[in-house]
Amino acid sequence: MNEKMKETILNPLFKGNPISVLVLGICSSLAVTVELKGALVMALSVIFVTGLSSLVCSLLRKTIPSRVRIIIQLVVVALMVILVDQLLKAFAYGIDKQLSVYIGLIITNCIVMGRIEAFALGNKPIPSLLDGIMNGVGYGMILVIVGFFRELLGSGTLFGFPVLSAIGYTNNGLVILPPMALIFLGCIIWVQRSIQKDLQEK
Amino acid sequence: MNTNSNVYTVIYTTVVCVLVAAVLAFVSQTLKPRQEANEKAETISQILTAAQFGEKSSWTDNNATINFYKENIASAAVVGANGFAVSELNMADAEVYSVSKLKAQNYNIKGGSDVELPVYIFNNGVTVLPIYGAGLWGPVWGYIALSSDLETIVGAYFDHESETPGLGGKIKDDPAFRGQFPGKKVIYGNGKAFNIVKGGADGMANGIDAITGATMTSNGVDEAINIWLEAYKPYVLAQKAVTREPAEDGIMLLSEETVNE
Repeated sequence: MNEKMKETILNPLFKGNPISVLVLGICSSLAVTVELKGALVMALSVIFVTGLSSLVCSLLRKTIPSRVRIIIQLVVVALMVILVDQLLKAFAYGIDKQLSVYIGLIITNCIVMGRIEAFALGNKPIPSLLDGIMNGVGYGMILVIVGFFRELLGSGTLFGFPVLSAIGYTNNGLVILPPMALIFLGCIIWVQRSIQKDLQEK
Repeated sequence: MNTNSNVYTVIYTTVVCVLVAAVLAFVSQTLKPRQEANEKAETISQILTAAQFGEKSSWTDNNATINFYKENIASAAVVGANGFAVSELNMADAEVYSVSKLKAQNYNIKGGSDVELPVYIFNNGVTVLPIYGAGLWGPVWGYIALSSDLETIVGAYFDHESETPGLGGKIKDDPAFRGQFPGKKVIYGNGKAFNIVKGGADGMANGIDAITGATMTSNGVDEAINIWLEAYKPYVLAQKAVTREPAEDGIMLLSEETVNE
């Protein structure tokens, strides 16, 4: 595996993480992280959508008229999102019910369009697919970390099983509310920038 | 080829849109029967959960759920605003009144015009009545199961379209919220038939505690329950008035004819 490929895979996880470095997709990371399970399924759906949309857009990249490229990208992303929703409804109804509106909201996730615009339109299909998938993973990673703390401290459970609540922990209502997710995100960004000094702004 | 010419752009976008529309139409048509079967099984599983035939998570298999329903249902019908049965639901086919229809009915109840009120009666005497209303972000609906005295609640189940997970979503996900219902009563008298209140529901025969941090959703469920219980009032009172002997083949519904005789 060459250097460039390696960077495509590893960069979105840490150095170029879509949430903590590029600060994209913040809205959904506040909305779906109240419970760990929702965060996890949302992460998987986003990985699917970013991967496939990047792949399709990369295949079409030489034919897309540049003046309407955003619209074409949007159509492709919307197609993928509706496909995910329809397939979940038919084959995994329970999961679809849990995610309800958030599946549809993947369309508005800046990461999907951002990666198509920044990477897929200028690269071959396979690296684009990888880039899409790994950015989804980078996004999902933060989601799961925030979801872990919010569910643990807010409801005292993990995946719905009592953990802290079993040992007499009093649930912290603030953690359930979206502002606390922003504070957790801030903490993650803080930790990352103190490890990785070159990200700090002078 | 010049990909930036106007002609190319128009043709390209048209082709892409038509293709995508065709793919989506095809997928939607192919998956529709499956999705509808899932929805029906979901509705039935919610009814069964409300009637305390098992936890919601135990109804995973569509066929098993529908078969269980068929074996245990005694009578399923639609009653009108006056409390008399207007039509029967096909029990052999496990026909249920879908949530989307409840939406229109909800509107009709508020307007006071003609309504269709689905009633499910099981072999053990439990009657399940659906409710439907508005939460914070979208519709909320559910099922209230009454024991054979049509007063004591044996259980309830709620669902929602887009309430906040961890807050309003608790009407569905939190067993503690639903767990408050069994043993409570529906009281038709002065005031509301059932109450969801902010604290202090301990001593109330017909009240439960609302969800912390989800006032709008709790109020929505409270309103939904009361609108529908009010609509069902003629039916429930008429049923209560008749001394009912549990018959071999289930419990007969009142019809207009039998009353006139």
